Amino acid sequence: MADDDLGPLPPGRHGFTREQVAHHQRERLIAGLASAVTERGYDAVTLGDITKAAQVSRRVFYEHFKSKEECFLAAFEVVLDHVRRLVAEAVEPIPDWPHRVLAGTRAVLSFFASEPDLACLCLVESRGAPPEVSARFGEAVAELVPLLAKGRAERDGTRPLPDSTEESVIGALVSLAYQKVTASEAEQLDDLLPDFTEFILSPYVGADEASRLAHSTA
Amino acid sequence: MSATAELVAEHGYRDTTIEMIVRNAKVGYATFYRNYPDKEKCFLALLEVATERTARLVKAAYDAEDGPWTDKVAAALDVLLGEAVAHPAAARAFLVEALTAGPEAVERHETALQRFAPLLRPGRELCSRDVELPETLENTLVGGVFWLVNLRLLAGEASEIHALLPEVLEFVFRSYVGEDEAAREARELAAAHVG
Repeated sequence: MADDDLGPLPPGRHGFTREQVAHHQRERLIAGLASAVTERGYDAVTLGDITKAAQVSRRVFYEHFKSKEECFLAAFEVVLDHVRRLVAEAVEPIPDWPHRVLAGTRAVLSFFASEPDLACLCLVESRGAPPEVSARFGEAVAELVPLLAKGRAERDGTRPLPDSTEESVIGALVSLAYQKVTASEAEQLDDLLPDFTEFILSPYVGADEASRLAHSTA
Repeated sequence: MSATAELVAEHGYRDTTIEMIVRNAKVGYATFYRNYPDKEKCFLALLEVATERTARLVKAAYDAEDGPWTDKVAAALDVLLGEAVAHPAAARAFLVEALTAGPEAVERHETALQRFAPLLRPGRELCSRDVELPETLENTLVGGVFWLVNLRLLAGEASEIHALLPEVLEFVFRSYVGEDEAAREARELAAAHVG
């Protein structure tokens, strides 16, 4: 797993600098794809763009990947794994669900705000890419549903929330993040943190408590 | 147009070729190229037509409804969801596949969705809580509604889309009138709009 880990990445609008990318060829190809795709869009990117950005030969590309799509999928998985790890680390010490939501959301938004290219890759390009990639995006987002559904235990009322609550909340926030990134405002994603967390928590802990938690400095 | 939407819905935008389109529409290549320089421009034109039509129908339903804002939103969403059920291939082509049809299609898709946001804005007047609702709230809510529709389209459950009406209404109303009122209104209004 460590071999596939991009590690902590420096902020940068124009992709990865050579020194900061791991020596491992696969990682360089993945990093090369990420920067090429965010610059040109998935469809327009050629193998030449990727190998040039990665500073490896085409032969080396084919040693690792069969196609642009396969490379994209690998890049997507690496970033997703990294985000999952960040979230797990952020929530691990926290006992109560609402504060776990705060910490997890902060971790995700901070990461993408500091890595606008990866925000573009994950939140924008992955939706338009080949069906296998956009399906993977859907699956990754669906992973959030059970995490949110835990919030149902926080409710003391007798009326259950609609079944689609988690999906509609998540979908709304994916859409909001998407709009920010396509407006080239990925760096401001963490400004959305209070609104995001208030929106997520509201159905589960009530509007007033959600607002209080979202705007607390805890 | 609906023939092309069917092709795109079935095969995906990428795998739909001009050859398939002309064969399906029973026109010659010359006719195609007289109207469109390429597949992307053709798709964008169709997307524009479909979007205009749906937006017009939804707005008309909203305007025609005399009741309070919640009634108007229910009428609008009833039509929107109904359109997806009535024309699942078009819904699939223009909501789902549009994201794979190039950057301009993606941009137009986003803009199209956000045409519905102003219909929700008047809900702010109903908000009794002393809080400042985020500027992005309406866009966010619209995003959530379309995400739910997309999930059903992707799962091949287009026929279930209208059944989402009560949950969608509750979702939309909640930020403005609070949970209990939202649930009550949603239930009543959805019952009045049974497909």
